[in-house]
Amino acid sequence: MRDFKLVFTGPMGVGKTTAIAAISETAPIATEVANADTSVAKATTTVGLDFGQVTLDNGDRLRLYGTPGQSRFDFMWKILVRDALGLAILLDNSRPDPLADLAQYLDGFAGALERMPCAVGVSRLPSHPTPTLDDYAQALAARGLVLPLLAVDPRRKDDVVALIETLLMQIEVLDEEAAP
Amino acid sequence: MKIPHALKLRAAVEARRVLDEVTGIASVVIATPDGFEIASVARRDVEPARIAAMASSIAAIGAVVSQEAGLGRCTCITVATDNGFALVSPVHSGETSLVVNVIADADAVLAQAMYRTAACVRALEAPQP
Repeated sequence: MRDFKLVFTGPMGVGKTTAIAAISETAPIATEVANADTSVAKATTTVGLDFGQVTLDNGDRLRLYGTPGQSRFDFMWKILVRDALGLAILLDNSRPDPLADLAQYLDGFAGALERMPCAVGVSRLPSHPTPTLDDYAQALAARGLVLPLLAVDPRRKDDVVALIETLLMQIEVLDEEAAP
Repeated sequence: MKIPHALKLRAAVEARRVLDEVTGIASVVIATPDGFEIASVARRDVEPARIAAMASSIAAIGAVVSQEAGLGRCTCITVATDNGFALVSPVHSGETSLVVNVIADADAVLAQAMYRTAACVRALEAPQP
C-alpha cells in the first residue's frame, strides 16, 4: 500500500475546497473564514489548508491538501507542497486573466515543479471558452513546460478523479524511470 | 465581512497598550480572520502584512485542531521558540471576528504576555456603547 500526498492550488474561489470535498471519503477538514476582501464576491475563504482522504481500489491512499489561493498565504504553499508527490493547479476561465493566474502559480511553485508531476485543470470553459486549452499549452510551452491540461468542473467527482488519475499516471512513470 | 471603523480604532489602541504594558513585546498585529492587518505596532522591523496572514492561518488551524480534538473553542495558540514566543488569539466581537498576534522576545514573561493578550481580546469583544 502506498501513500500519496497531492496538493491542489489555484486562485481564490476556483473550487479547491469543493474539489477535495467532492471526493474525500472522510469529512474534509477546511479552514474557511469570513472573507473581508471586498474585491471578491465570496462569503468565505480558506486561510490554512483543506484536507481530504481517498482510498483507491488497490489499497493505495491519497492524502489531498488544498492551499489558500491568495499570494499573501504563499508561506502555506511552501509548507503544504513539502513532501508532496503531485500538484494540481486549478484555474477559473471566468476570471479576468486566467493566463496570469497560471503564471502566478507556476512561479509560486517553481521549486516544486522542478521535481514533481503537475496537472492543470481549467473550469468554466463552456461558458468562458477563451483562453482555450491550446492557449494554456502555449503559455506553458513558452516556459519550457509540457503539462496535462484538462477541462474540469470542481463540483463533479468524475472530473476531480480524472485530474488525480492524470497525476498518478505521471507519478508511476517517474517511479518506473527511477527504478533500477 | 466589513470591519467597523470604531473597531479598527479600538484595535489600534489595544495593540499599543499591549506593547507598552508588557516588557519584551516586539510587535502586536491585529488582523481580520482572512489575513488583512487592521492595526499594528512594533519595536523592531516586522512586516505586519506578512504576520497578519500567518496569524490568520495559525488561528484557523488552531480552531480545526480544537474542534477535531473535542477541546472546545480555541482561545490561544502559543509558538515557543529559542528566542521568544508568539501568541495568536481569536477575537469574536458580535458578527465580526479578528485575530490578535503578539510576538515577544526572550526577556518577555509568557504568562504575563498571555494574561495581557487575553485582556486585549476581552476588550475587543466587549460591546461598545
